[in-house]
Amino acid sequence: MMKRSTLLRIGLPAALAFLLLIAPLWIGGSPYIMHLAITAFYYAILAASWSLLAGYAGQFSFAHMSFMAIGAYAAALYGTYIRITTVATETCREIPFFGRWLVILDPIGISQSSQTNCLDLARQTMPAGSMIIQPSIWWGLLFGVVAGGLFGLLIGALVLRLRSTYLALFTIGFSEILRAVISAEIDITQGQSGLEMAPLFPNGITLFGHSYSASDKIPPYYVMLALFLVIMLILSWVVSSRIGLFIRAIREDQEASAALGVHVVRYKVLVFTITAMMAAAAGVIQGHYIGIITPNILIILQMSLVIAMAVIGGLENIYAAAIGAVILLFGLELLRNSFTIGPVTIDMTTWRLVAFGLVLMITLRFFRNGLISPLIDRVMRRNVARETVALRNAATAAATPTATTAGEGGSDE
Amino acid sequence: MSKQGDMQQELALDVNHLFKNFGGLQVLSDVNFKIRGPELIGLIGPNGAGKTTLTNILDGALKPSGGTVYLNGKRIDTLPPYLVARAGLGRTFQVTRAFRRMTVMENLLVPAMALHATASRREFEEKAREVLDFLTMSHLTNEYGRALSGGQQKLLELGRLLMLDPRIVILDEPFAGVHPRLMEIIYEWIYRVNDEGKAIILISHDMETIFTLSKRLLVLNYGDLIADGDPDVVKDDPLVKAAYLGEDEPAPASPAGPESAKFALPTRQPGQDDSADDEEGRVNA
Repeated sequence: MMKRSTLLRIGLPAALAFLLLIAPLWIGGSPYIMHLAITAFYYAILAASWSLLAGYAGQFSFAHMSFMAIGAYAAALYGTYIRITTVATETCREIPFFGRWLVILDPIGISQSSQTNCLDLARQTMPAGSMIIQPSIWWGLLFGVVAGGLFGLLIGALVLRLRSTYLALFTIGFSEILRAVISAEIDITQGQSGLEMAPLFPNGITLFGHSYSASDKIPPYYVMLALFLVIMLILSWVVSSRIGLFIRAIREDQEASAALGVHVVRYKVLVFTITAMMAAAAGVIQGHYIGIITPNILIILQMSLVIAMAVIGGLENIYAAAIGAVILLFGLELLRNSFTIGPVTIDMTTWRLVAFGLVLMITLRFFRNGLISPLIDRVMRRNVARETVALRNAATAAATPTATTAGEGGSDE
Repeated sequence: MSKQGDMQQELALDVNHLFKNFGGLQVLSDVNFKIRGPELIGLIGPNGAGKTTLTNILDGALKPSGGTVYLNGKRIDTLPPYLVARAGLGRTFQVTRAFRRMTVMENLLVPAMALHATASRREFEEKAREVLDFLTMSHLTNEYGRALSGGQQKLLELGRLLMLDPRIVILDEPFAGVHPRLMEIIYEWIYRVNDEGKAIILISHDMETIFTLSKRLLVLNYGDLIADGDPDVVKDDPLVKAAYLGEDEPAPASPAGPESAKFALPTRQPGQDDSADDEEGRVNA
């Protein structure tokens, strides 16, 4: 039995990961399906990390997409405004940086075409051979993740005393404020026009002897897949560790957990921080993949989509939430196909959201643990009921002869 | 078990001039008592007497409006509940608080792992199995808390305390709504924990169990500690009679010493147990 459960716990995810690694052999030829796969991984990261926060820790936060956006915007601002030069420009804001100069460019204004960049002026005066370097987007990833984590820490600390509805309202408020700030700071963020983000591999990349251009789907597929797998590994470690045990205890009963020695504040803030960093990482990679980031990713519908994915998969299981995200994303795409019954043509591009809403309502009403989570539970806990009965029978059988020999068998009836 | 050595060191709880008010309502007023060593103490009082408030202050969930609490020389009234628990004070709740969507084993692992920062799950699983054996709940190891009966959930809470291994335990109504057979286990639990050198404060409206088990009785009445002493003496105290026990009939005293009570478990009359949630009915029955 142990072997079987180990096989299920490790073997099944490993086999799935391997399948995803070799999947481009079949789907690599279709940019459309590759795009869906990349987007599916992105949503799977968001849904799985949100399930840790909402399902395991019981913190029903609407700020998850905000952390994603904070990560993406931090990376976009970094990519837009940070340069390294080998000599001082004298015209830009700059600080010494490991023997070079870290330059912070001026706000780009409403339209990039109208910008008067201080670096353009500096170029004319800088000595020959001096370089202006656009720093690597991978440092931007780190910057975005740290920024997401800091905001996660802040929000986690601010909502410590808030529960259920109040937590939801607070986090919706935060999300809307963030959207308003990004939209309002047009000079810096270009508002609704969005900030452009460099491709993940601006100069293309060579993988396994193949050269891929900046717009090819295979490299971003592997980057997002790698991020997805790393985050799933971290999440599965977290849920099986003491952190997972404590956050579930906190979800069940905060006061009782504290009375048993659990540092409630630490674990609540920790889970906010960890999940915010994960969302931020997904946001950075998705932003670089899509090439632009706009405040529209913060509309409530986007957050609702992530919640629906986790709820339909199963809120209290990170794997179920991730699978729910993939199924929902591909399902919504499949539902785009309109069909005709006799004289009536159903335009599914509009009706698909109705179908999606119905699935969500049916899940909430009849499958509180989602559609995938009960299946996983059925496999993982299939022996529990049998073991309980067997152990109880064994205990009864062991107790009966003792009672007879003690001669007090009937006394406690 | 790791604290067994320390346990030999005399346990000392000092409650000094404790006050608590909620707005204009004085819930505790100058409450003073000391506990030395593995005492078995009953805490009684009418509803609204301040028993639960006192418990919540001792456990760190509430801060007192005035006064101090020291556990073995360490001030605990300023600490948050998790540090009070780690300092060695454990409690159960009046309404059972099992973690319903966690397995019985996980319920038991929470306090053990919270107490030992670097320990792994496996180290405590063996101890948890022993605890479940003692509670006759081994067969339920992998079941969810929500699958247990109310009585079993009470036992599970007591099991969690065994895993926490505190020096002093506050049991808030451990017998309420529990089947007599499970009550036997709770009695055994109390004697076992007491024999291990831990002090127990037992809050109950069931006078029979209070007088059977306690060797010292504290009586709270609307925030005042009106009596503290030997149960046989306290029960005749006119103040206590007037406030809680009633004037007409004496409360049932323990017919024999606590030693015999270990084996002579509640010999309740059919229909008497669980029949009356009304404390007056029980006390004067």
